[in-house]
Amino acid sequence: MYQFLYNLIGNEIIAGLLVAVVPLTIILVFALFGIWLERKVSAHMQDRLGPMRTGWHGWLQTVADLMKMLQKEDIIATDADKTLYNIAPVLVFTGSFAVYAVIPFSSKLLGSEVEIGLFYVLAISSLVVAGILMAGWSANNKYSLLGAMRAAAQIISYEIPTALIVLSMVMLTGTLSLDKISQMQTSSFWNWNIFGGAIFSLSKFLLIPFMFVGALIIFISTLAEVNRVPFDIPEAESELVAGYFTEYCGMKWGMFMLAEYGNMFAVSAIISILFFGGYQSPFGYLGNTIGAQWLVPFEQGFWFLAKGLTLVFVQMWLRWTLPRLRVDQLMTVCWKYLIPYAFINLIIIGIISIL
Amino acid sequence: MKQYLRNTWDGIFTVLVGMKVTFKHLFTPAVTIQYPDVKVKLPERVRNRLYVNMDDCIGCDQCSRACPVSCIEIETVKSIPGEDLGITSNGKKKALWVTKFDIDIAKCCYCQLCVFPCPTECIYMTDVYEFAEYERSNFLYKFATLTDEEAVQKKLNYEKFQAEKAAAAAKLKPETPAQTENKSE
Amino acid sequence: MNFYDIIFYIFAAITLLSALFVVTTRNIVHSAFYLLFTFFGVAGIYVLLGADFIAISQILIYVGGILILLLFGVMLTNKITNVEIRTGTVHMLPAAIATGIFMGAVVAVMVWTEWKSEPSVIPLTTTKDIGHLLLTDYVLIFELLGILLLVALIGAASIARRDEE
Repeated sequence: MYQFLYNLIGNEIIAGLLVAVVPLTIILVFALFGIWLERKVSAHMQDRLGPMRTGWHGWLQTVADLMKMLQKEDIIATDADKTLYNIAPVLVFTGSFAVYAVIPFSSKLLGSEVEIGLFYVLAISSLVVAGILMAGWSANNKYSLLGAMRAAAQIISYEIPTALIVLSMVMLTGTLSLDKISQMQTSSFWNWNIFGGAIFSLSKFLLIPFMFVGALIIFISTLAEVNRVPFDIPEAESELVAGYFTEYCGMKWGMFMLAEYGNMFAVSAIISILFFGGYQSPFGYLGNTIGAQWLVPFEQGFWFLAKGLTLVFVQMWLRWTLPRLRVDQLMTVCWKYLIPYAFINLIIIGIISIL
Repeated sequence: MKQYLRNTWDGIFTVLVGMKVTFKHLFTPAVTIQYPDVKVKLPERVRNRLYVNMDDCIGCDQCSRACPVSCIEIETVKSIPGEDLGITSNGKKKALWVTKFDIDIAKCCYCQLCVFPCPTECIYMTDVYEFAEYERSNFLYKFATLTDEEAVQKKLNYEKFQAEKAAAAAKLKPETPAQTENKSE
Repeated sequence: MNFYDIIFYIFAAITLLSALFVVTTRNIVHSAFYLLFTFFGVAGIYVLLGADFIAISQILIYVGGILILLLFGVMLTNKITNVEIRTGTVHMLPAAIATGIFMGAVVAVMVWTEWKSEPSVIPLTTTKDIGHLLLTDYVLIFELLGILLLVALIGAASIARRDEE
């Protein structure tokens, strides 16, 4: 994509900016769609209808809400630390947006082809923690601070099982590049990493159960990293009003929402790349069959979005199924269950992959 | 260790059970009623907005006295002989001009206590429930059929009649009023 | 001056300015947060040098680990809900002399060293080479560091659990 634009325009800066616009658009559109989907899913799971009156089945509801949010007065509490208070939402959104720099949406649409994509994703998400701490502390509100502390503790804890599973996948595939991992799982869903990868041998069948365990663990731990129910104790409405963004309003609050939905899709994308073949089609491409090569990247984009949205749907499904965990339960799940399982999984996958 | 594995299994299994329940509900038809488009049929004896059929009202003030929140205000003027006010639908003869019949529906508590004492059944609850207003003053429903000028006219008529009667009585028999008073006592 | 030079100067400016703020601001939490931008600027310079692995490690370790720890430390050692966490300057003269001497030493080294300059070749991937080196030439140091961290972890855990006895 970058190369194509660079050849087309001949200017590095403009080409780079244009490439950056694509994931931004995807985040914005996804946030609009995701919030609507969340409302509809929650409503239908509770035998309600949800928004119905703005457009067909209320699909314009989020747009209307956005309009409302943009018009709101920007209130800053008198005792808040104004500089940090204003920087924090931008930092949080930057953290979730920066992840998209390395995510391959299709074989032709990937921001940066860095070799260390996975490592980058793990690292850049720490920016979100700093932003959340900043937001919570600068608002000078006890609920904000409690939420921020909880969020930081939770995200840092759950980064460990995530990193362990990522590590086991790196051991298996031998690369940190998200694009290369996607390319390895080509041609059929049987070659996806969740079914043991593309190399057909005994170890493939031995790997399958451990891959399922790995996918489950990384799904749970990334769910906790994006602060979604049942791991939403940082923003627990019934205890902390809204957690670290209690004091925010208008578009600054909107930035936190954007970041949350951006993160949701980002972690779903990472899981789908690691385990479900990324942008690869599960059956083969229509473009190859009918001889239209230009169709293939679009199909890949479709499959990528489909996989990502399916995982987002599962996240929402879980949200409307489970109650919130207590803080000690949250830490128990992470340190006493997920990390030991992830370690054992890591060792077993290591042994199998050198067989 | 056994407990640990059991906890793990329970954790995963119970979540899956819960997810199955919510997934089923995803396809259960919603119970929501799309209110302005679809309206629920109200029960037969529903109590909503008050209405007064002024053709039947005899101005007896019983509803106003029955009201626990004093939201009904009635003023009447007696008619003078020769004026025909008509009769109510159940055959009662009307004798009073109703110059003011105001219901402040914002105060109304929908208890229906005003409905029972009405001798002509002219005040009753309707099934209209959508009567939100932008101004609070619009909640003051005026049911009196007479215009303000007419009301003033009737009042003047009555006062004139009383004055004439008093004058006539004074001319004919000055003692009579006193005697009647004594009798009534 | 090409595009990458501009980016380099932006990163350098971010690093230096935020480092200056870290030192001069009187609010400890502010200086901790300004440190975030310093780390980022340094990471950006690493990227421009072609050391992507080190850049990401910088962010992961310094921003994700040390900075958060620092913030927790600052917030928990002071009155936690207070925005007015202040710091002051003491012993101006000895500090000035010490930093002056250190600065002089650094500048002297920079001036008198004969720098070897070669046309730079940006390696395509550094991760694999770093991994190989860590597990062949530098394996002893790597293992020793691992043991050191493990000892620190066990020590921290034992201190944290002491009051349960």
